[in-house]
Amino acid sequence: MSGPNDISEERAARYLEVQNSQEFAALRKKFRGFVFPMTGAFLAWYFLYVVLATYATDFMSQKLFGNITVGLVLGLLQFVTTFAITMYYARWADRELDPAAEKLAEHMERGTLQ
Amino acid sequence: MSSSWGLLAITLVCVVTVGVGALGLRLSRTTSDFYVAGRTVTAGWNASAISGEYLSAASFLGVAGIVYSLGTDMLWLPVGYTLGYLVLLVLVAAPLRRSGAYTIPDFAEARLQSRQIRSVASLLVIGIGWLYLLPQFQGAGLALQTVTGAHPAVGNLVVAVVVLASVAAGGMRSITLVQAMQYWIKLVAIAVPVFVLLWIWLRQGQPLPAISSPNGPFTGPGVGYAAREHPVYATYSTLLALCFGTMGLPHVLVRFYTNPDGRAARRTTAIVIGLIGLFYLFPPIIAMLARTYLPALPPGTRADSIVLMLPGAMVPGTLGDLLSAILAAGAFAAFLSTASGLTVSVAGVIDQDLFSGRLNRRSGGDLPRTHSFRLASAVAILVPYAASWFWANVTLADTVGMAFAVAASTLSPVLVLGVWWRRLSVTGAMAGLAVGGALAIGATVATVAGWAGSTGRGWAGTLLAQPAAWTMPIAFATTVIVSLATPASVPKNAARILVRLHAPEEVAGRHTDA
Repeated sequence: MSGPNDISEERAARYLEVQNSQEFAALRKKFRGFVFPMTGAFLAWYFLYVVLATYATDFMSQKLFGNITVGLVLGLLQFVTTFAITMYYARWADRELDPAAEKLAEHMERGTLQ
Repeated sequence: MSSSWGLLAITLVCVVTVGVGALGLRLSRTTSDFYVAGRTVTAGWNASAISGEYLSAASFLGVAGIVYSLGTDMLWLPVGYTLGYLVLLVLVAAPLRRSGAYTIPDFAEARLQSRQIRSVASLLVIGIGWLYLLPQFQGAGLALQTVTGAHPAVGNLVVAVVVLASVAAGGMRSITLVQAMQYWIKLVAIAVPVFVLLWIWLRQGQPLPAISSPNGPFTGPGVGYAAREHPVYATYSTLLALCFGTMGLPHVLVRFYTNPDGRAARRTTAIVIGLIGLFYLFPPIIAMLARTYLPALPPGTRADSIVLMLPGAMVPGTLGDLLSAILAAGAFAAFLSTASGLTVSVAGVIDQDLFSGRLNRRSGGDLPRTHSFRLASAVAILVPYAASWFWANVTLADTVGMAFAVAASTLSPVLVLGVWWRRLSVTGAMAGLAVGGALAIGATVATVAGWAGSTGRGWAGTLLAQPAAWTMPIAFATTVIVSLATPASVPKNAARILVRLHAPEEVAGRHTDA
């Protein structure tokens, strides 16, 4: 098994070079700028459901049609949104993150890091 | 219901589990195969395996019972179980895969360059695993008793033997096959009866299930969360534990190491959330049908058993018995798969850190490792099995909740901060583990010993029974504050390790093993 601690000196120097490059900083910034706000937003949406179920019971038990209440629809929507957010993230990572990462790798191989 | 159908179905599930495990043995030949299935598992297989492992009996039986007794506003609970994977995906999945470590202790040691951190993480992984295994044994005992009338000890023993046989036989590769298959068994075992029952319900022209409780419209966790005191606090605390505890469960994370790369890890998680979400659509349907056909439960019956009782109530006779037997088989598959996954992970840590770790590092031998893994599997399963005899009266759902709370208060800060924060220091991580662990485990012991509880003991009892909402923030804060105060103990190569975690495989993984 190889851990990050058993890499050669030459590779260590390469890592430091990557760490200090603007390209890597931009890549991390891109990742954080997407992931942290999104995590905050989806956690807020789930906790909002609990708040509504707790304090807005009249609203949640309103009937839309038949015995289908607002609470039931919102509850099912939580499942749908979980999956939608996951797909959105995976697509974003494939489309935005990976190409930038591949470019970084290419520049590193050629020694043309910016 | 007739016990012979149920017994036949459960036996079939056990035989197939051991059979597929034995098949896996023939494919599993190296140490890497044993631990992480040679890292060649495809996203689809791996996602089925993760889902199969994750959907325990609490999901199969418990969710329907909770929605039945407390209403559709309880849908936040199954969503919470799914949500933990989303948090895991966006915050830690790909970086952890890139770390090149096999287990959580491997990651902790690699990131912080400290043997002590590794030892503490190992003890926590073993403890959390055992805490989660305990209710699986007890649940299996109860399920077998419901179906066949056998003594609960029989069910415990059956699960212990079947899991040990399949784990010791083939390690991770064989378990991946077994788990993946068990997800589909569980899905079919719940979907087919639900569709049949829905069709019967349509034909009988029964009224639309009333989605309101006898006491008025369903009003959600604010009113009814298991009749606990301070239900709003209990709800938030549970949701928080689910969000951040999932990543710290030993049997969940080890699966991400079996992905060939970070992109596959992402794809796997997306499929997992789809598969788990799909499964969770069915228990609420059972709960709603049960509201129509089983308006009142016989006294002394647990709401958890409505899944097994509904077919008999709707179609008495052979069809009902058959549907109940299918559902019982699904529930048993749930016990087996969760218990197998936990056993593999706990055994892996026991093997590496207690048995052969140092020896293997020197010899690099393959064969002795395999033997010691089998021995470790026996230890991993016998301890909680023995414990299930002594702590027979602990509430199942509470024990599972405690495992999530301990994981969220200990391993989760190390994982999240380890992946994202360069200034995490060894002293800080140790302080966070010690404080979070002491508080969360203390609360668990107090609750298990009956000194605290969610009813009749006011705020103190509630805070101890649902500790995550305060223990997790304290653990994170301790880790951050102590880290900032001890910059000297930040590992020297922290920057380099973070590059490896966040740079793509093309950069970080090009020269590493696969």
